[in-house]
Amino acid sequence: MSRRTYNIAMVCDFFYPQPGGVESHIYQLATKLIDRGHKVIVITHAYEDRKGIRYLTNGVKVFHVPFAIIYRSSTFPTVFSFFPLFRNIMIRERIEIVHGHATMSTLCQEAILHGRTMGLRTVFTDHSLVGFTDAGSIFTNKLLKFTLSDVDHVICVSHTGKENTVLRAALDPLMVSVIPNALVSDDFKPLPRPEPSSLPFAQHPLPAHPLGPNDTLTIVVVSRLFYNKGTDLLTAAIPRILENHPNTRFIIAGSGPKAIDLQQMIEQNVLQDKVEMLGPVRHEKVRDIMVKGHIYLHPSLTEAFGTVIVEAASCGLYVVCTAVGGIPEVLPSHMTVFAKPEENDLVAATGRAIAALRANKVRTERFHEQVKAMYSWTNVAKRTERVYRGISGDISEEEFYGADDASHWSVTRGRNFALIDRLKRYYGCGVWAGKLFCLCVVIDYLIFVFCEWWWPGDQIDIARDWPRKPPASDDD
Amino acid sequence: MANASLSARDRPYSGLMRSATAPIELSSPRSARSHLAPEDAFTSQLSPRRDHGAIVHDSGNELRPRTTRSKLESRSRSRRRKRSWKKLLWVKQSYPDNYTDQATFLENLQRNPRLQPYEFWPLVGDISVILQQVCSVTIFVVCFVGIFQERVSPVSIVGWGSFATFVGWLIWDSWVDSKDEDEVLQRRRSNRNRAAREQPGRRDRPQSSVVSLPPSATASVTNLAAAERAYPQIAIHHSHSTSAISLQSGKSQASDVARPPNDPSDEPKYRPLSSTLSGRPAMRLDTIKSAVLIYSTLLGLSPILKSLTRSTSSDSIWAMSFWLLAINIFFYDYSGGVGVKFPASLSTNAALMASTVLASRLPSTGQVFSLTLFSIEVFGLFPVFRRYARHQSWRYHVTLSILLVIGAGAGVGMVLGGEKGNLSPLKSGLLGILVAILIAIVAIGGCSWWLISLQKYKNAINGPWDQARPIIISRRLWDDD
Repeated sequence: MSRRTYNIAMVCDFFYPQPGGVESHIYQLATKLIDRGHKVIVITHAYEDRKGIRYLTNGVKVFHVPFAIIYRSSTFPTVFSFFPLFRNIMIRERIEIVHGHATMSTLCQEAILHGRTMGLRTVFTDHSLVGFTDAGSIFTNKLLKFTLSDVDHVICVSHTGKENTVLRAALDPLMVSVIPNALVSDDFKPLPRPEPSSLPFAQHPLPAHPLGPNDTLTIVVVSRLFYNKGTDLLTAAIPRILENHPNTRFIIAGSGPKAIDLQQMIEQNVLQDKVEMLGPVRHEKVRDIMVKGHIYLHPSLTEAFGTVIVEAASCGLYVVCTAVGGIPEVLPSHMTVFAKPEENDLVAATGRAIAALRANKVRTERFHEQVKAMYSWTNVAKRTERVYRGISGDISEEEFYGADDASHWSVTRGRNFALIDRLKRYYGCGVWAGKLFCLCVVIDYLIFVFCEWWWPGDQIDIARDWPRKPPASDDD
Repeated sequence: MANASLSARDRPYSGLMRSATAPIELSSPRSARSHLAPEDAFTSQLSPRRDHGAIVHDSGNELRPRTTRSKLESRSRSRRRKRSWKKLLWVKQSYPDNYTDQATFLENLQRNPRLQPYEFWPLVGDISVILQQVCSVTIFVVCFVGIFQERVSPVSIVGWGSFATFVGWLIWDSWVDSKDEDEVLQRRRSNRNRAAREQPGRRDRPQSSVVSLPPSATASVTNLAAAERAYPQIAIHHSHSTSAISLQSGKSQASDVARPPNDPSDEPKYRPLSSTLSGRPAMRLDTIKSAVLIYSTLLGLSPILKSLTRSTSSDSIWAMSFWLLAINIFFYDYSGGVGVKFPASLSTNAALMASTVLASRLPSTGQVFSLTLFSIEVFGLFPVFRRYARHQSWRYHVTLSILLVIGAGAGVGMVLGGEKGNLSPLKSGLLGILVAILIAIVAIGGCSWWLISLQKYKNAINGPWDQARPIIISRRLWDDD
């Protein structure tokens, strides 16, 4: 039985050449979906010298659309101005599914709105956790609710993220799938372990197991040094950890506004020979830094998934991390030591980790293979494909959502494109917001009608596809 | 045993499940209770919610979870799932990605975890702080209008104002005195207890090191400690006066002189040694000195102030002073306790600037002087007194509020009544008082009641997705250094 393949457009403000987690997620997912026989294009805004259309490896076609950037590489939210161009791309590339990424990306939110107006299926992937307390997040949540009032499916990267998104956008929980991030495990291999017989004396400072009681144990921190990454905790904990455990040293990679606090701490406690600060590093170099250490310390205060701890575990490091956000779901307990986001507990947890390593109780050399079996982009692509099949109706509704009796949710599941049904969904967003959102949707629809009349769809040329691969077999 | 575990699994569902996240019009069984009442506040996560679920939802929801659960079980049985679902990402689960586990979904959600319900009378007391400030601004404006229309003699205003200030200072002085004696007594007592337990000579603030001398020396120490305690307050006086002066003159020559010769903020440790007079009298002398200085500086500056804005039209001055006084009201430090060193400098400066530009509209030097001095008293010194009065006793606070409302009402009544001219000043004043008291009661009571009634809409959602608050202990040690 041949599977149906889809034409998918990934829309996000954040994409290469800018580095980052969302960017690599989109790229990896697109590549693996192409491997499975789908056609994937990426729509992002123009970066300085990166304009127009580019092809990346594996035939990922990237559209850099010209829009002004206002804040942290998000485009200016004009709501409607993107529509004609978007429609043109959709028709030209014969797109069936619009897949937006990241809450903070205005391009993605607009694309989901326009996609629904054009009668396309839409998916949204949420990469972040947003609280409910401060004014900024309330505003963000309202906007997200606008976008997600009329979306076919939502993907979150962790179960905590799912709970968060369901609450933020008042969604049916069955409309939200949890598909974790993954990593390219070949890029995060531990150092090759020499056979004990062949190499009696190792030349480089290998993270050799078993650790003797007096061998130096290295703790690695790779993190942007921001408040929400827990740098304050780190700054407070390092002197105490070093005091409790004399034969340890720290390697800290990353930069940010809190770097100066760390520097100050180092100078105040005269730890220059014990704490090494490397400054900003490229993502490709992260593995080379990680393999120098034995323990990876992750003091973050909030994290939707925490790809970096998976990368660290894949490099064969024992992970000490704060149990916040989605982190407790990510790694099995034999790879991690959890701490509360408190200075005392972080120091204690690091102490436990050091003791466990010194006692040679942790089989870190097996971590790489284990992580490789847990997370792979191929698996992510396969699970994302199931979402696509579900929303396109290739899997029956019962099978996709489960035979659920909650019939009132079927209204919000966004099966039909009738304008009046869409308006109903938007109207429920709030007393004032609901009316405003309805107005936006009506205007969007009018623009759509105008475009259909001014640039008829059948006069737009169809682009030639990149030669497709034969769909990969399903039993992966 | 089995029963208990079953109900424990059911409960989170009854509290907050999909129905809680559904759009309101869709979730019929719970829509009647989409808002929380303040008494729904709870601190720990699970057990109180169980209670709250049991108490509040008994009526409609008792049956629902059970039926849903049985359906869920039948569904999972029909698919022959053996392993139970786990909230983990690294496990390959035999459930679809959009599977929602009814037992664990949203189990860590907390609603209104740190809610402190307001009570009516304390809230009224807190709101009346705002009322006091609004009333003092009103009184100031009324005085200006009186002077401007030449209905009130400026000398009488400033005379009464200064007299009231002097009386207020005496009262404040006695409060500070008695409080310090109390504190010293208390501290001496606790010091004795502490000395019994641990070694003396802890690193602490200078004042307590003075106090922790052997009991034989405490008789003279009382005064010293009192001086130490009171000095921040005199610093308030000076800061207000100096800022007023520098604002008006643009020269800081005077403010240098206005500072007491041995400023406590510079060298608190040497203070007890270098001063010849012991504590309190020295401080009083300093206060009087600076008062005289402000007085004479203002007297000298008044002719300059008089012609300061001659080239500006009156309309702009009215608009400007309105905005400046509005800034004063909005940025005033309503929450500040008695120990605040520079309470709301923006607010005070705005008010003094307003008084300066208003004073520049006045025709004679005497009027300008009076109004400026009066403004310093009203905006600089009076708030300090009010703060102390509130701190000292509830009764003082209420009395002061009532007096202020009456004063402002009478003033406004007289000014407005005088314009029309068909009412005698006494009558219009009485009418003003009546209206002011009415407005005050309606405003304060109404606002308090409104705020309390709005509390039921409060719905703060907390959960594991919130940014954690790190608990850092040692930070203080190296931040202070």
